[in-house]
Amino acid sequence: MADKRITIQATRYDPDKDERPRLQSYEIPFSDDSMVVLDALNYIKSEVDGSLSYRWSCRMGICGSCGMMVNGTPKLTCNAFLRDYWPRPVVVEPLNNFPVIRDLVIDMDDFMHKLKAIKPWIIRRQEIPLGAGEHRQTNEQIDDFRQFSQCINCMLCYAACPVYGLNNEFLGPAAIALARRYNLDSRDQGLKQRLPVIADNEGVWECSFVGECSVVCPKGVDPAKAIQQTKLETTMRFVLPYGNRD
Amino acid sequence: MELGPRDIISRAMMTEFEEGHGFEGPHGKYLHLDVRHLGEDVIDRKLPFMRELGREFVGIDIVKDPIPVRPVQHYMMGGIDADISGATPMAGLYAAGECANVGLNGANRLGSNSLPECLVFGAAAGRAAAEYASSAKPVTANPVDAILWDEARRVEVAYLEKKGGDERIGAIREEMQHEMDTGAGVFRTKEGLETLVERLGGLRQRFSRIKIEDSSRTFNTELTSAIELDFMLELSQTIALTALARDESRGAHARRDFPERNDEKYLKHSLVFHRDAGKPRLEYRDVRVGNFKPQARTY
Amino acid sequence: MTNEAQAAPREYRWRMPANWWTRNRHYFLYVVREFTVVPIALWLLWLLVEIKRAGDGPARYSPHGSAAFVVFSVITLVFALYHSYTFLSLAGVIIHFKVLDRPLPSRLIVLAQFALWAVASVVVGFVLIWFAR
Ligand SMILES: Cc1cc2nc3c(=O)[nH]c(=O)nc-3n(C[C@H](O)[C@H](O)[C@H](O)COP(=O)(O)OP(=O)(O)OC[C@H]3O[C@@H](n4cnc5c(N)ncnc54)[C@H](O)[C@@H]3O)c2cc1C
Ligand code: SF4
Ligand code: FES
Repeated sequence: MADKRITIQATRYDPDKDERPRLQSYEIPFSDDSMVVLDALNYIKSEVDGSLSYRWSCRMGICGSCGMMVNGTPKLTCNAFLRDYWPRPVVVEPLNNFPVIRDLVIDMDDFMHKLKAIKPWIIRRQEIPLGAGEHRQTNEQIDDFRQFSQCINCMLCYAACPVYGLNNEFLGPAAIALARRYNLDSRDQGLKQRLPVIADNEGVWECSFVGECSVVCPKGVDPAKAIQQTKLETTMRFVLPYGNRD
Repeated sequence: MELGPRDIISRAMMTEFEEGHGFEGPHGKYLHLDVRHLGEDVIDRKLPFMRELGREFVGIDIVKDPIPVRPVQHYMMGGIDADISGATPMAGLYAAGECANVGLNGANRLGSNSLPECLVFGAAAGRAAAEYASSAKPVTANPVDAILWDEARRVEVAYLEKKGGDERIGAIREEMQHEMDTGAGVFRTKEGLETLVERLGGLRQRFSRIKIEDSSRTFNTELTSAIELDFMLELSQTIALTALARDESRGAHARRDFPERNDEKYLKHSLVFHRDAGKPRLEYRDVRVGNFKPQARTY
Repeated sequence: MTNEAQAAPREYRWRMPANWWTRNRHYFLYVVREFTVVPIALWLLWLLVEIKRAGDGPARYSPHGSAAFVVFSVITLVFALYHSYTFLSLAGVIIHFKVLDRPLPSRLIVLAQFALWAVASVVVGFVLIWFAR
């Protein structure tokens, strides 16, 4: 047990030196069964090669920063246990479908813009002053959108989505799920402001329902469901005579 | 007891360990927190994230199994000296959130106060900073720019152009964590804190010999780790010095050798100045007591 | 800071590999599902041709019935069933009804969909057979 070892192959890319990303192999001790892929990367960084670059923060599946491709599947590396791969080597690559800045670090600007585009905050037709009190909500009303509010912006769903891979104008799973979260919120009145973005060609209608986003989502958000529901709802608004109400 | 403030819980847990109770785990001793009596419905409604964490990271179901727990460092109670509008003694510098000390938490932050603190004082600091910026006289040579360039140059020389070195950042950081946990953890003593100050001095020495392998200018996380470690060592030294000078127990600062609170002498903020390379200077400022007078904690 | 530090970082652009759909079982099934519409569309086109021919009156009409066409029709039927099945299962995910303020379980919605499908098939079959006599 003490001298069990595991091979980690990690993507290396330094734009100043490398033409294209390449894999580098590290063999490290697999000392304890609770080790995750992120622990392995941290071990490499502190003991073997300080120049390996990657993002992480919380180590508990809540900050959403440690997403990478692990043996070809988008995963939170803080929640991908080495014991599930050993004795096979573990290949760690930057998330698919995004430009690579360095090693395992991707450029997430595009995702950030998309998140902002759907206005992920509560919109009121008329803001009430702070002093007038809170907007109340029952547990049942929260249940309406709870699932879609669990998103941690890890972008695994974007890495899993071939539609986004082929056309990154697509608004994408998490942004649409988040739009749905606010549209279903009893306190929100912003549907009309979000519609132009979500009901666009590059919005829900670009989705051809591969469904892989919901498979890889670590938080059970089910963005595919949010997208199909939005398709149905926007169609109903169009078809039904009373559909265009707020 | 289980719903008591965290400083009391932490001390109770450490006491259990010291009395030989608890379980031995890969990351040290731990206790069991049992929430099974709540039942699945209450747990799913009120503690869904705890259940998820247990399932995903520990391989237990908290509906059926007890949860392994131990005290850890979780929040930084002190911080940059700031007033309630976020203004610091340095004109134009504002601080809010965990990095700031607006005096909200005192020696003991109560659960859930931190995120509201970010919202309330973040908004206040933002407004005050905007006001300052729009009222300040226009300057020809922006002094902030000059400071930034100086800092960039300092980082360049200290780390990126650094040659040689044989100390690993990760090793020093880990030792610092271990020393802080031992010397300035849940319980503190004069001897422990003195040893800590000395060891931190040693780590500071070693830090001057760190090895930087990454010379890239793109997303260089080894560089940020080095800068962070520098700051953390400084903060650790600050915590150790003020804890050593405070011969009392207050909130999360629990001195074994001075278990009582001493409001006469220490109802004060500790202020530490790192002006020059020499020893940091320690000063005190009275705590402003408003409507609520400090009282004995009798629970 | 040196000049290098100011230069915009050169990122490595993502390119979708041509064989992306072979890299994952779900991608493959998805492509198959999408592909099923091609034979279904062809079959429907043929149906239009048949209807056109039938329009010339019963005397001169004899439906095309070669063995190859029967095989093709059976395959198309399987594809159509597969497609309908995935579509109706989806409905449980998409549609949400509330009864007495409680969301209806999606299983129930899916079952209702399949029941409706069966009823519709029976009705259509009945109409076709009844009027064909
Ligand atoms: C496990 C855990 C659970 C918690 N649970 C709760 C809770 O339930 N309720 C509650 O109220 N509070 C809770 N807290 C506390 C609360 O989360 C934090 O106090 C709060 O998030 C701090 O926010 P902040 O914005 O002030 O600082 P941070 O969120 O720490 O942000 C600081 C930022 O500064 C960046 N930074 C640092 N150094 C530099 C530098 N040199 N240059 C540029 N950027 C830099 C960091 O990368 C970081 O992004 C919890 C804390 C922890 C650790
Ligand atoms: S929807 Fe899921 S996979 Fe996508 S960003 Fe949110 S948490 Fe991550
Ligand atoms: S490190 Fe935060 S989600 Fe993995």
